[in-house]
Amino acid sequence: MSSKPKQIDTSLRQFIKDLGYISGGAALLATTPWLQSFTPDKAKEMKKEKARIGFIGTGSRGQYSIHAVSTIPHAEIVALCDNFAPNLQAASELCPNAKTYTDYRKLLESPDVDGVIISTPLYLHAPMTLDALSAGKHVYCEKSMALTMEECKAVYDAYQGTDRVLYFCMQRMFDEKYIKGMQMIHSGLIGELVGERCYWFRNHDWRRPVPSPELERQINWRLYWDYSAGLMTELASHQLEVCCWAKQLVPESVMGMGDIVFWKDGREVYDNVSLVYRYADGVKINYESLISNKFNGMEDQVLGNEGTMNLATGMYYLENEAGGKKSGIEQLIGQIGNKIYASVPAAGASWRPETKEKYNPHSILEGNFNVNEGQSMVGALKDGSDEILSAFCQACITGEKGKNIVEEAYQATTLCLLGNEAMKKGEKLYFPDEYKIPYMKFS
Amino acid sequence: MSEFDAGNFCYYKSSMMSHASLMGIMGTRFDMVIIGKNKSESETVWFNIESELKRLNRLLNRFDPASEVSKINKIADHQQIRVSDEMWQILNNCKFYHQETFGLFDITLKNFYAIQFHEHNKAVSFLRSDIHIDFGGYGKGYALKRIKGIVEDAAVHQCFVDFGNSSILGVGHHPFGDAWKVSIENPFDAGQTADEISLRDMALSVSGNTPSYSGHIVHPKSGSPETRRKLVSVLIDDPLDAEVLSTVFLIAAESEKEQLKKSFKIFDVKEYNF
Repeated sequence: MSSKPKQIDTSLRQFIKDLGYISGGAALLATTPWLQSFTPDKAKEMKKEKARIGFIGTGSRGQYSIHAVSTIPHAEIVALCDNFAPNLQAASELCPNAKTYTDYRKLLESPDVDGVIISTPLYLHAPMTLDALSAGKHVYCEKSMALTMEECKAVYDAYQGTDRVLYFCMQRMFDEKYIKGMQMIHSGLIGELVGERCYWFRNHDWRRPVPSPELERQINWRLYWDYSAGLMTELASHQLEVCCWAKQLVPESVMGMGDIVFWKDGREVYDNVSLVYRYADGVKINYESLISNKFNGMEDQVLGNEGTMNLATGMYYLENEAGGKKSGIEQLIGQIGNKIYASVPAAGASWRPETKEKYNPHSILEGNFNVNEGQSMVGALKDGSDEILSAFCQACITGEKGKNIVEEAYQATTLCLLGNEAMKKGEKLYFPDEYKIPYMKFS
Repeated sequence: MSEFDAGNFCYYKSSMMSHASLMGIMGTRFDMVIIGKNKSESETVWFNIESELKRLNRLLNRFDPASEVSKINKIADHQQIRVSDEMWQILNNCKFYHQETFGLFDITLKNFYAIQFHEHNKAVSFLRSDIHIDFGGYGKGYALKRIKGIVEDAAVHQCFVDFGNSSILGVGHHPFGDAWKVSIENPFDAGQTADEISLRDMALSVSGNTPSYSGHIVHPKSGSPETRRKLVSVLIDDPLDAEVLSTVFLIAAESEKEQLKKSFKIFDVKEYNF
């Protein structure tokens, strides 16, 4: 452990400050309880310590997180583990002082590790998380939570019985534009929530180069059902989490179809999925993902009768501004700002064929937003990933559990897995009672 | 969820201008621009106006089951209902407009005489069970009249108020012009301007049909909806007169229009046929 006096993480502090927690942020805190641990008052409680972090899985995502954790003042990377030598080598070059392991169980035995960051294929999430918690480590695991509903429940139950901190990388919960956008939705800006439309389109085979054929499943684990739950857990999980967050409910049923349409290369998981999730009140999530056309990119749209919140792009649109023209008042404000005297339109309504109209875009974060176009397989800048990592490292010091994070991950992952089951069976499925947890509200 | 959508306030220091808006009020949106006041003065004015708008919504919005008008509509067909002093004044004011407009302004949309006024206890009742009060052609004008009072009390000398894009109040003038200019667009031909109107201490109300919203104004005597491709604009100093008259002129006969021009101090009234 370092003996140097340490500062608290200034970037996390600034993030909380930017969200408006300093003055009059009570309403925001109520909607994002997981951020309560990171207010300035809480920061004072933090001892001048460093969280000693071990990485389990140092592939592309692991290395991305190593870069992020390296810049966190209250964290120190002390251990690295991977069973694929090139990845371990690359990580070791990034942190030469960290001890290396090829067996994660050995890493868990080390008393010098406070918390672990797990960035491994999905099928390993549950066993590794459970082992790490039993070893007394705080755990941060990539999404999704686990490969099966049973495993999700086992992890959730283990979490109920431990005082250890557990985080899953639901980074949108720490993404400023999502937080502010949700606040706008919940304050009624877009009216009544009537639909949710999320999609993720890429044009990429989702493969990584394999040095020798026996490593195919280890490296291209995403493509095989025993290792991965495909597009749903890799992509849709974030988006379904957002849908429930916006709606403040969990859908009770799902129907869907999944196929391998284009990448017929021996893979097992679908490369093309369409699903409809239905809430008790009839509002639906329309979800679509395919990886052989990227025209539409990635978007999380929350539709209200008075407007549309496009959380992924950080923009929102108001129904009464359809037609692409600025409202009279907006024109007036622009004119006065530019010292121009001109008329503002009133009482007009224009006829158009019902193709998509132009809407006036408004930025959720005035002049400061980052758009994730969804094309990177590793991570996008400023998408909340760095903040959630920083929050985890802080929690390793304070021992304070993150509110709602495990529950949100559980909710999102089980919905993804239920979707996969619905597609495989070709049936409409209801959320099974045995996997309902008290946090989930269906009506 | 809050009862109303959140109001929004934004101050532009370099122009000494504030923009405030409120969504979902009386079924539409409300916007105002205040010029020449500092941030805290503007915020105070907006606070008072927002409170007043929400209060009036609870009085006049028939789509809100808890509003006073909803209670009247629910009860008055089978028993007398005592009304608040303000509602009493409003109903009497509607009676005045009904008389002055030859029955063309009618909050029942069919038979105003079916509303019984019980003077001794300030109560009303309906003579027929199919009668409902609808302040759709009155509420925004009434609200603007109240807001005009708030603005005057706060010594705001320049402001522009847009209520639902059809009821407009211009107090004083644009900071870079001698009035506030509003253009009326042809709703049947995108981008075509039908007229440009200057307001200085005036209210403007525009009524009529658009392709997507037609036939919402009903002739109370015939019961038939007005569906002609037509707009009417009325410019007058009283925002409530403007609101009432723009609807009335849309359905009035030529002789009635001449009479109306004599009984109200209308600054300008225009009809646009498309």
